[in-house]
Amino acid sequence: MAMAVLATKLFIPTPRSQAVARPRLVEQLHEGLRAGRKLTLVSAPAGFGKTSLLSEWIADAQRRYPHVRVAWLSLEDGDNDPARFLAYLVAALHQADPDIGSEEPNVQSPVEAALTMLINDVAHGSHEIILVLDDFQLIEEVSIRDALVFLLDHLPSRLHLVIASRSDPLLPVARLRAGGELTELRAADLRFTSDEAAAFLNQAMQLGLSLEDVDALESRTEGWIAGLQLAALSMRERPDVSGFIKSFTGSHRFVIDYLAEEVLQRQPDNVRDFLFQTAILDRLSGPLCDAVTGRQGSSQMLESLERDNLFVIPLDENRQWYRYHHLFADVLRARLLSDDPGRIAGLHSLASEWYEHNDLPEEAVRHALAARDFERAARVIEAAIPGVRKSRQDGSVLRWLSLLPNETIRRRPVLSVFFGWSLLVSGDVDAVEGWLGHTEQLLSAKRDDGTSAHDSADGEELRTLPVTIALYRAAVAQARGDLDGIKEHARRALQLTSPDDHLGRGAAAGMLGLAAWASGDLEAGVLAFGQSSGSLRLAGNLTDALSTTMVVADMLIPLGRLRETHDSYDEALRQAMELGNGGQPTSDLHAASSEVFRERNQLVEAAEHLAASEALGESAFSHEHRYRWFVGMARVREAEGQLDTALDLLTEAEQLYRRGFFPEVRPIGGMKARVRIVQGRLQDALAWVTDQGLSTKDELNYLREFGHITLARLMIAQSVTDPTAGSMQEAIGLLARLLVAAEAGKRTGSVNEILVLQALALEAQGQLPLALEPLERALDQAEPEGYVRLFLDEGAPMLRLLRAAAGAGIRPDYVRRLSQALRATEGTGPTRQPIAEALSERELQVVRLLATQMTGPEIARELYVSLNTMRTHTKHIFLKLEVTSRPAAVRRAEALGLI
Amino acid sequence: MSAHMNRPEIGRYQIRLHGQLDESWSDWFEGFTLTNESDGTTTLTGPITDQAALHGLLRRVGDLGVTLISVNVLPSTNPHPKEH
Repeated sequence: MAMAVLATKLFIPTPRSQAVARPRLVEQLHEGLRAGRKLTLVSAPAGFGKTSLLSEWIADAQRRYPHVRVAWLSLEDGDNDPARFLAYLVAALHQADPDIGSEEPNVQSPVEAALTMLINDVAHGSHEIILVLDDFQLIEEVSIRDALVFLLDHLPSRLHLVIASRSDPLLPVARLRAGGELTELRAADLRFTSDEAAAFLNQAMQLGLSLEDVDALESRTEGWIAGLQLAALSMRERPDVSGFIKSFTGSHRFVIDYLAEEVLQRQPDNVRDFLFQTAILDRLSGPLCDAVTGRQGSSQMLESLERDNLFVIPLDENRQWYRYHHLFADVLRARLLSDDPGRIAGLHSLASEWYEHNDLPEEAVRHALAARDFERAARVIEAAIPGVRKSRQDGSVLRWLSLLPNETIRRRPVLSVFFGWSLLVSGDVDAVEGWLGHTEQLLSAKRDDGTSAHDSADGEELRTLPVTIALYRAAVAQARGDLDGIKEHARRALQLTSPDDHLGRGAAAGMLGLAAWASGDLEAGVLAFGQSSGSLRLAGNLTDALSTTMVVADMLIPLGRLRETHDSYDEALRQAMELGNGGQPTSDLHAASSEVFRERNQLVEAAEHLAASEALGESAFSHEHRYRWFVGMARVREAEGQLDTALDLLTEAEQLYRRGFFPEVRPIGGMKARVRIVQGRLQDALAWVTDQGLSTKDELNYLREFGHITLARLMIAQSVTDPTAGSMQEAIGLLARLLVAAEAGKRTGSVNEILVLQALALEAQGQLPLALEPLERALDQAEPEGYVRLFLDEGAPMLRLLRAAAGAGIRPDYVRRLSQALRATEGTGPTRQPIAEALSERELQVVRLLATQMTGPEIARELYVSLNTMRTHTKHIFLKLEVTSRPAAVRRAEALGLI
Repeated sequence: MSAHMNRPEIGRYQIRLHGQLDESWSDWFEGFTLTNESDGTTTLTGPITDQAALHGLLRRVGDLGVTLISVNVLPSTNPHPKEH
């Protein structure tokens, strides 16, 4: 449902006029506030006056400290949905201080991110705030509890959390208590003392009881306020008060049982009947009670119940909504259940009907389900679905559907498709089609009289159902990696959409784009996402439209269109900042665009974009793009030579990466393998390649291109380390095949990288003139687009290649710039730091030979030493240079200027 | 998994409460039999399908503000113990 925030839940209860002032407890609460303790916990069973005490204290605090604002949230069962809980929390705080939660919270962001936003708002706000969560015992949802623990751990000093609960909350109460961070009031504190009991009975209720009678009542009820209140009601206008007290105190019957009976018996028939009929309601209003009781004048009845103190509590200032005291409601409901159980379902149905007509679907569904009127529940749920789709709060609908009989869902196409979708989301891909196929049959079936054979009401949702079904089928195909399936269903969806169904068209074009992307037809992918973006704009969804920039960039980069990528990020960022949508999608765009700057070796600018993204806060990221920040940062660190840091960042990116949104064309595991190759940790890199089942014999497709290029890199590195391994020829063969495939797909970006690797492989084989051919091609294509890191990332061997290119007069300006940058890079990073122990003269000789293509035995012969001695030298060199492999030792030695 | 976890959860429970509750509360307490004892306590006796049901029942007890004295599983050898 479109989550209408019920104002009654945020209403700060006003102190009752007949309440007994409790200065000793109010003072304890003030003390907690003054001492800045994190949590105030009022924990006691029902009827101990928790809410009354807090409302008395709040009123006093507002008088004493005018700058203090109060946010109050009365919780109920349905708040066990994290999204809903959070929405109310934000609404309560926003009502207290309009500067808090003023930005539309991102419905997709995790609870913690939204809380961080709230915490920041409070911390930067200008008010001290008391936040009261009443009836907290109803919260059982673990993620909400975790959210509150997070809130407590990051509580700004301006915020005071107050929890009222019938049972101790599952929060780290003991820790807070031990740390002096807890103000605690429990049943023993809340009980009426003899004086308070006397004040209540004789002053507030004006019963004029003797001291003995007060004591007798106080001891019989053990100071339980609800008990004393009921006792007072029973005694009002009773001629024989002493007789009542005698029989009450002499009875063993449970206090509430005894007294409720007394009170109810003393009510006129119409009042008693009203109480029982309306007992099923969580909230009472005049019109609602009229509908449920079938009588007029419920508003007046509620007013008189409040006047008579009959456990009716107002929920707003206008006396439109009330509720019964929980304890009293329990008594009434138990009586109704015992005396007249057959009546209950009918009352719920009447309540559901009223709520439905008053556009409160959530309550309507709840009462329909309580009445076991599944048809009504299904109808209301169906009507609520478009709202749910917009607010993306589908948790409630899924819970409701789980309470409906399968048959009821199956007769309603709209619910059937929603149910199918919920299965898709939960990962039960195989079960989806059953529901979609069933829905199609249901839609086409006709009854004998020609009318439709299903129960769904006509409307937008039903009319666009064929499009929805096609889109979900495309999504199922995507989950299965069935590219043809995606295309087929997305095309069908596109055919079925009406020209003005921009949202449907945008989704279908996006699906087509994904399929084209995954199959390596990147130009088609770019076009499709361009259409999708256009449709999304027409649908008024600029945020999602701008988010396609990142997807398009993921395709433009392998297409080698770096300039265009840069410009599209530039423009998208400009529009996103104008949008000012809580940092969305600005943050994602900043993070993703860092890669363009990195490629151009503008590492400072890249880092600036990443910092700008981070500054917008956790909540500004969307969860499917969150990993991009870590990849971007890893790539910058990698360029700076901080390889271990880069690996850590990539590991974090891996954990944040959400599968299933986009084709995984650049697996993060592959990026890590590449860093390990640079580190000389070839075994680790090999483990990834093996795990992916990559080999030079594979058939090539775009989805595995990154993996295969990684394999080629690994084989070149292996061959350089140990030329006897003989894998260079195989690497060269693989690169030749990769080049053909990339050229066929017009992926100039991929082509450039493959050409560079071909040059490196040939250089490593000592075939420098041959190596210049691919290098020249790469340089020709890369210069106009402004590539730099494409060459820089290859280190010393590339420097040798560039020198040769300069000698051959290839692209002289570009080559000079690249060489200068490369020399500067080689001198930066941790390798700049001097080594702890200098290499001996002999070790220097060895290290210089290690930089050649000579094998270990050849070097030993060259130096006239045994292979064993030579190995000892190598071991010492590795230790001193803090490396574990030959190429790493050579790189390090080069960086140190030793060779 | 411990032997304890393997034990079927279905069983009869006896819950003792402080004060005497009328038999009319039986439906409210999921059909449990209410017996007023001579010492001013009430015992609720009935079947529990699983732990969640037991906790739900105890929550109802707590919501009413009744003082809980004890919760006992009744031996399964005698599924219908005689009330005194």
